Amino acid sequence: MDSVTKRQEMPPDGGYKTIPFKRVPARQFFSGYALIGGYLGMTAGAAYIYYLNCLQVQKEEIELRSGRIAIEPLLKAERDREYLKQLRRNRDEEAKLMANVEGWKVGTLYGEPIFKTRPDAFIEPKFHEYYMHTDLWSQKLRQYFVWLS
Amino acid sequence: MSIPEEVYLPTEEELTVTEVNLTGNLLKAAAFHYGKACLSENNEFMLCRNELDDPRACINEGKAVTSCALNFFRQVKKSCAGEFMQYANCIDKSSSTSAYGPCRKTQAAFDKCMKDNLNMERAPFDYFARVHVHKTDRPRPLPEPIPHFPDPPVALPEDAPKPPAKYGSRYLFIW
Repeated sequence: MDSVTKRQEMPPDGGYKTIPFKRVPARQFFSGYALIGGYLGMTAGAAYIYYLNCLQVQKEEIELRSGRIAIEPLLKAERDREYLKQLRRNRDEEAKLMANVEGWKVGTLYGEPIFKTRPDAFIEPKFHEYYMHTDLWSQKLRQYFVWLS
Repeated sequence: MSIPEEVYLPTEEELTVTEVNLTGNLLKAAAFHYGKACLSENNEFMLCRNELDDPRACINEGKAVTSCALNFFRQVKKSCAGEFMQYANCIDKSSSTSAYGPCRKTQAAFDKCMKDNLNMERAPFDYFARVHVHKTDRPRPLPEPIPHFPDPPVALPEDAPKPPAKYGSRYLFIW
């Protein structure tokens, strides 16, 4: 009847393991100073590369501008000739159009000039006046060049 | 109302010359050689144009520019047409701004051809953006004369009557 013996549960031999309550810090690869130094170094290196890139971009911009300046006289000479031709065409067209109007003088409003102080000065006309006797499409093409081209 | 009859405008015949019938990318591709080949004509024209600010005064200089350009492009066409068209095509199709950057290989081929056949060096990348001194025989333009008006308003005499204002102050918000 007394064959069942009680067995008290006891700690293992040598006692329980100690409880690891101490803080385990993450492994440190770099010290704080190294991190700050590395950050500064990398930023400096990146800034230098950025600077080199800026130089190249600037150089290309200057090259583009330089090329434009080189061909400007050619374009401007052609433009001036065409411009003067159109001015003359406008004047001839006006003379033809107003031939039958009594007292009309070309370039003036019945003899009243636009500019009184310098009657023989060459004063360039306004945009719409310049395109007065052309077709509408060429005027619009010039006016809204960006969207229509 | 356009330009009056008294103002001189050159006639159609005076203004008609053979124009350089090329598109932008071709001009851009040739710019650095062209600008150097026609430097004196270009500078002369731009000087005239900026000094006088009158398109009528610089017709002959403009014609010189165009004929020099025509001459230049004829030479290019004779000697380096293939390389030139290749380069211009690259410039046309490589960027939206006709940049020179993406076309260095075709540019090198074109430059070499120009150097070998026409003995024209490519100008440095910022050559035309620099300040140039241009020697010319053009007379310096006269300064604009100070306008003289014959009828300046006469000042009031010392003893002119100065009655008070008829309708009060003209300062609308201070009365």
